[in-house]
Formats: sequence, structure tokens, C-alpha cells
Amino acid sequence: MNCTRRNFLIGGSTTLFLSGFFPKISFASMQKKNLIIISLRGGMDGLTAVPVIGDKRLKKLRKKLILEDVLKLNSDFGLHPKLEIFHQLWKEDKAAFVHATNIPYTGRSHFDGQNLMETGAHIPYKEKTGWLGRGLLASDIVGKGLAISLPMPLLLRGVPQNNNFFPSPDFVETKLIDQIYDEFKGDHNELIKSTLDTIRQRPLSMQIATDSEDRKKLALEAAKQLKDQSGPRVAVFELDGFDTHAAQGGVDGAHADELEEVNEIVKILYENLGKAFDNTFILTLTEFGRTIKQNGGYGTEHGYGSAILMAGGLLKKSQVYTDWPGLKKKELFEGRDLNSTIDSRAVYNSAMSICFNKDPEFLRREVFWGDDLPNLTEELFKI
Amino acid sequence: MSLNFYRRVAFGLSPQDKLPQEPLSWALNQLNTVPDFLWKGSIPTEKELRKKYGEWVYGDREVLRKKFKNDKNAYRQAKDELRIKTGERYFELNEHAIRHYQTKYGAQPVFERFWLFWGNHFAISEKDFLAEFSTGPYQREVIRPNMVNTFEDMVQAVTTSWCMIHHLDNSESVGPNSKRGIESRDTINENHARELLELHTVSPSAGYTQEDVIQLAYIMTGWSHKWSRKTLETGDVWFDQEKHQKGDKNVLGKKYKNDAKRELAKVIHDLATHPICIKFVSTKLCRHFISDEPTEEMINPVIEAWNKSNGNLIEIHKAVIKQAFKYNDTSHKFHPPEIWLMQLSRMFDLDIPPSAEKMNYAFKSKPTGRQEQLSWILHEIGNSPYRAKQPNGWSDFEVDWVSPELLLRRFWFASVELPYLVKSQNRSHSFILRCLKNNFEDHENMASLIHQFRFGTTDKDLGRQYGIICNLPGVLKV
Repeated sequence: MNCTRRNFLIGGSTTLFLSGFFPKISFASMQKKNLIIISLRGGMDGLTAVPVIGDKRLKKLRKKLILEDVLKLNSDFGLHPKLEIFHQLWKEDKAAFVHATNIPYTGRSHFDGQNLMETGAHIPYKEKTGWLGRGLLASDIVGKGLAISLPMPLLLRGVPQNNNFFPSPDFVETKLIDQIYDEFKGDHNELIKSTLDTIRQRPLSMQIATDSEDRKKLALEAAKQLKDQSGPRVAVFELDGFDTHAAQGGVDGAHADELEEVNEIVKILYENLGKAFDNTFILTLTEFGRTIKQNGGYGTEHGYGSAILMAGGLLKKSQVYTDWPGLKKKELFEGRDLNSTIDSRAVYNSAMSICFNKDPEFLRREVFWGDDLPNLTEELFKI
Repeated sequence: MSLNFYRRVAFGLSPQDKLPQEPLSWALNQLNTVPDFLWKGSIPTEKELRKKYGEWVYGDREVLRKKFKNDKNAYRQAKDELRIKTGERYFELNEHAIRHYQTKYGAQPVFERFWLFWGNHFAISEKDFLAEFSTGPYQREVIRPNMVNTFEDMVQAVTTSWCMIHHLDNSESVGPNSKRGIESRDTINENHARELLELHTVSPSAGYTQEDVIQLAYIMTGWSHKWSRKTLETGDVWFDQEKHQKGDKNVLGKKYKNDAKRELAKVIHDLATHPICIKFVSTKLCRHFISDEPTEEMINPVIEAWNKSNGNLIEIHKAVIKQAFKYNDTSHKFHPPEIWLMQLSRMFDLDIPPSAEKMNYAFKSKPTGRQEQLSWILHEIGNSPYRAKQPNGWSDFEVDWVSPELLLRRFWFASVELPYLVKSQNRSHSFILRCLKNNFEDHENMASLIHQFRFGTTDKDLGRQYGIICNLPGVLKV
């Protein structure tokens, strides 16, 4: 590929992410829409997941990390072979990617970066709530968040009564839960109290004991809950291990193993959501991408721009959305990282707008402090 | 002062513990010396365990993978046998037993609480086979003896320990202008330098830049494990001059002259005595013992003690305890699951860990269920201590430990699993009442809660009694 700054837009439009569109959201549709987030912790390498094809400079800088064979998306981009379900969905216009994107954070710290990826803010640890939690609250959607993890992710904080699913090895008697609930009535701890409320309102299928190590079962249960018209509208999955400083590998390396896990979750959701998949949008988050150049351990360092993987029937079409910054030294961020030309939060905001049936302008003000985030709803989604 | 002080700074009082006459001096007197390990079973050295680590990775990577290239099932079987032979499935269980035994029976439980704190401040997160072989002995041999030295001593020891070097990839870091860098065109790995700044010492509030991280990484180049074809990455840490970036370096506005291996000690000295580092770590200490959001009034005396003693950890620990004592009745702290478990274990004399005899391992078969029990419980309540997800360790904020599932796990443990851990001689109503009386002012109210149940001693009866007792607001929090 020719590594000049260029846009990959049908019809050659260069204005995609640069100008705002007024939303034409149909508020008539009462069909429940699901927003599913998969957090990829550690720094997902956008150039491994969605590699540019034929870039000589990249080949030179990443001798030990080059993918021997990739799934083809278009003339410029391929897909990592472990992301096979995305390739299948791509053919049905149900998968798409945003490339050269990140949250506005260039500090390269996992902890600060993950904090900002979840709060959507500019200063680490300043905000105590997640953008998704605030978005749900602003949209008056309470008690509809489901986290597939043992702790409650920061991303969902800010709206009360979220649920999580990561079952214990054995059943807890309802009577005990009620009794503990009663004992907390006089307590001042609102967090524990509202958590106990949530526990008491859990559907029966979530009270089963199962093997939480089995991600397939968890994704399956999530699909079951999301399919239910009165069930959760938001689900958050957590994956870590993307911080491949050493032995990152190509088709079969450490990064590939992690991508395979993403693929598996999406595949289970797709296969089990049935028709509800048409009203679903899945997107990935990560705190940063990785350096262009491989390091001493055939891994990569913390970088900046990465990619967002997206799937679901709400997508408008299969497309790699990007304002490609190029990979020449002067085009890189600080001469070492893929640049970010799209604020990922614009994608988050547009996704919430579609899934929660809310005006993106309203959400931008309520959730992202009125930051300058273009409205991408028309470009990304069927409206 | 209420009885919860013994849980705030330790693990509560066991049925054998005498009620201290002077709670504050009881706590302060525990901090002057490093107590010996009480565990009667095997306590292998870090070096011995690193050798096992080497046997495991060498055997798998260099022998089995090549030998069974074309036979996946034979490979799997051979690998399982190697796990048993090298103790890959066992040593972490033994480490949990050593740790838990110490918090349960130790005569200096306040010291043990600080041990847990520092091990988590300088956390080794889940990576490669560190939890299996090396994190436990690192906690015992690197963290623990330094708890009576200065904070700077501890940072020096941690930064050049094999475990941290491996954890944060410093062996991979090569100065681009070093002999090796020029030959191989390898370059730095910033991971360790970044965490030394961000997590271990000054924190991001010091305002360091990417260039500071790079410069510190340059200083750290060369500090790596020795490598040989047989031991692979498990050789001792040394300073490899051939990887060291030449020239002067500049970190946080200070120049460090080209001085090979001596550069690191100099920069650590400056970082570990930096006012922002002192404030950052003092705040974390107060957060652990007093409240999620400690106030300036809480933190300042700790900073003063730090400055006055030039970072002597004994004095710093004492200042923290005095503050914890002062604010005991007016602040609240929700404890993470492992500390909660240790408190229940000490207060109710639970049957964990198993005896040293039961933990004995012959490297001939998989560990028994009993040997795995404690580690399994820690995993299920969400707080396996040597498997933090990231290098910033386990959170000390309540909000990270309160979710439907995490609370349910505690309900599950207390009502389903705990009854199996009640020793036969303790299966009586009077025993529970005695334990409650030792540890809680409102023990009568607590007792009345279990009066509604039949005072039976079956597992089910005990599950109902402990299920509610262990999850009351005043037990989950101090």
C-alpha cells in the first residue's frame, strides 16, 4: 500500500469524520437494541488485528511479527486469520472497522489509559464514573447493564443497579441474601445497598452455579439475557493479555491467542442472539495501540493509535473507516506510533445514540462534556 | 476505642489471643523486627524455586515441544507429567499456606498486614510462570526483610530482583548505542522504567514525560537475567555492560553522568526520596488502613514521620498505625476479600491452611483437593494474591470489590464452604458466641441474629449461622 495520508471512503469523500450530520433517528422503533462492549486490556495492536497490506516500511520494522497470510478485506487492509467470524460477518455487511483511532490519550500508561478508555475523560482518575454508565443514566436506562466479570468495570459505573454474571461454584440461599439485605437497611453504604437490590432482582437463570472459567458458557448466558426483550441492553466483556512486550508473534503468537478469544465471544453472541443480532452492535475498546517497530523481545511497546473492531446488524455496511495517517516516520506519532486521526469517543457516542435512541448531541453534552466529537451515526449505522 | 481496631490493623483476635491491655502499644511493638515464618512445612528459597522454574520452561520449550512436534496428545500428557515433576501445580499452593499461616497464628499480625501491603504495592502480576514459582518467594525474600529498612532500600532490592526484572521485561531492554544495541539493532523496553516511576515511586502526579521514561529506561539497560542454553531466562540478575546505553542521562530534570551500573542506585535514591513519592506512598498506606479517601490531616503525620526518619519503614509504619488508631472510630474501611478471609480464619479458628504434613508433596501426582483448597477459595472470592491482573496490584478501593458477583462470592464462601472449615471441637453455639465477644462490641446483637436458627452443628446449620455473621455491615467493613 502506498503510505500517504488518504481516506478509504466510498466515493472518495474526505469529509466523513470531519463534518457532522444531523441525526435522523427513528424514535418510533421500540425494538430493544443491544450494545455490547469488549474491553481489550493491555493495548491491542491495530496493525496485527487489521493489518495494512503491502506496506514495505512495516515489513521492515516488524520482521518477526509479519502475518504470513491474512483474510482479505479490501485492497488496502486485511484481517488477522484468527478473527474469522468478523470476516464472515464482513461479507454480510455486519462487520466493520475503524482504524488509526484512539481515545485522546498519548501517555502510554496502561492504568491511566484504561482509566480514560472507561471514563472517557482527559485527566486520569479524575472522573469516577464510566462513559457507558453516564450514557445509560442520561438515557434513563437503569438496571440494564450486565458485566461479564467478577468486579464491576469502571465503564459501567455511574448508573445504579448494574448486574454482573460470573457465577460462584455453588448456590447461595435466597433467604440468606434477604437477611443480609435487612441488616444493611440501617447502613449508610449506598453502594452495597444498591448492589444487594440488584442481586435480589436477578433472573433465575443467573442464579445457577456454573464454571466461570468457561468463557463460552458466560457468553452464552449473556446472549440469552440480551435476547430477552426485558433483559439487559448493555453487556461488557473483559479480556486482558494484549500487552505483548515479548513474543508477540504473527499468525500464532501471543497477540493471536487474544484475538482468538475476541473471535470466540463474538461468534457465540452471533450464533445465539438469533434475530436479536440484527438489533445489536458490538465494539471493542483498548487503551492504546502498539509501536510500529518490534522491540528487543520480538514484541511491541505501548503506542497510540489502534483499531476498533465492530460487528452487528445495526451496522450500515462492511467498511474500514479511516483517515489513514500513513506509516512514514514523520507521519507517526512521535516518530514511533500509528497516529490517531479519529477520536474513538466519537464512535462510542454514536453507538450509544443509536442503541439508546438518544440524540447524539444530547449525549455528547451529557456524557463527554460537550467535547468536539463528530456525529458518525449516519455513516456507521443503518438509520 | 472499639474492638474493630484489631481488624483494622490486623486480623482480629483468635480464641487463643489475649485482649491487649494497651491496643496502641500492642500494635506499635509489632513493627520493630521481622518475625520468622511459623510454617512448619517446606519453605524453599527463591533460588531453589527459580531452578524449578527453569526446569519447567526448559523441559517444555526445549525438550517436549520438539520431541512431540507431531503428536498433540502425547505432548499434553508429557507436559502434565512435567508439571508434577517440577511442582508447577504445587508451589503456589504452598506459598499461600505459608502466607495464610503467618497471618493466622503470627504474634505480630500488624507486621503481616504491612507485609501484604508492600507485596501489593510492588506487585508481581500474573505473567508467565511467576505466580507458580517465584512471586511467593519474592514476597518472602525481597519484600519482607526490607520492611525494617528504608523505603529506598526496598525499592533498590525490588528493582534488581529477578522477579520484578522478569515481570517488567527489563532483560529485553537494550540501549540502542550499547555494544549489543549497535550489533543487533535491538532497543529499549520501557515497561520497567515506566512502572518504577508510575507505580513504585513518584506516580504520574510528578509530571514526568515520555522522555523521562526513555531516559530512565536507558539507565536501567543492562540490568537483566543471565541467560544460558540450559537455564534460559532463569539465571541470576546481573548488570550486562554490553547492553547498557552509553552517555549521560536526564530524569526529572536531573543529570546522571555516564556511570554504568551505579546510575541506577543514584536515580532510585532520588525517586524514592522525592516529595511526591513520599506523598503518594503515604496516601496509599493511609488508604489501606484508614479510609479509601484519606484526608490531608490523616496523611500529613505519616509524611512527617517519613521525612524525620529519612524513609525508615519502621517509623513510617508506626505513624500509619497511630493514625489508624486515631481515626478508628470515625472512619470506615471495606476490606478486600483476602483480608476478610484471613480475619475470619483467625477469629473463628478455621481449618485453613492444612497442616504441614498434609501440604507435603512428593512430586509424583497432582496436588490433592485439600492441598488446593485455600488457593481455590482465594480464587473463587476473587482475590488470588499472587495473580493480580496488572502491575498496579489489587485495588484498595471499596468500589472495586462491590459487585453482585463479588458479594455473592462472599455469601457463598461463608454459607457453603466455611462450614467444612469449622474444626470439630468448635462446632458449638458457645464457640461462635465466644469469638463474637472477642471481636465485636455488638456481639449480643449479632448473636441474636443467629438465635432464630436451630443451634445445630450440621454443615447446613453452621452455613446459616456463619453466612449471616460474616457478611454483616460491621464485619465486611471496619
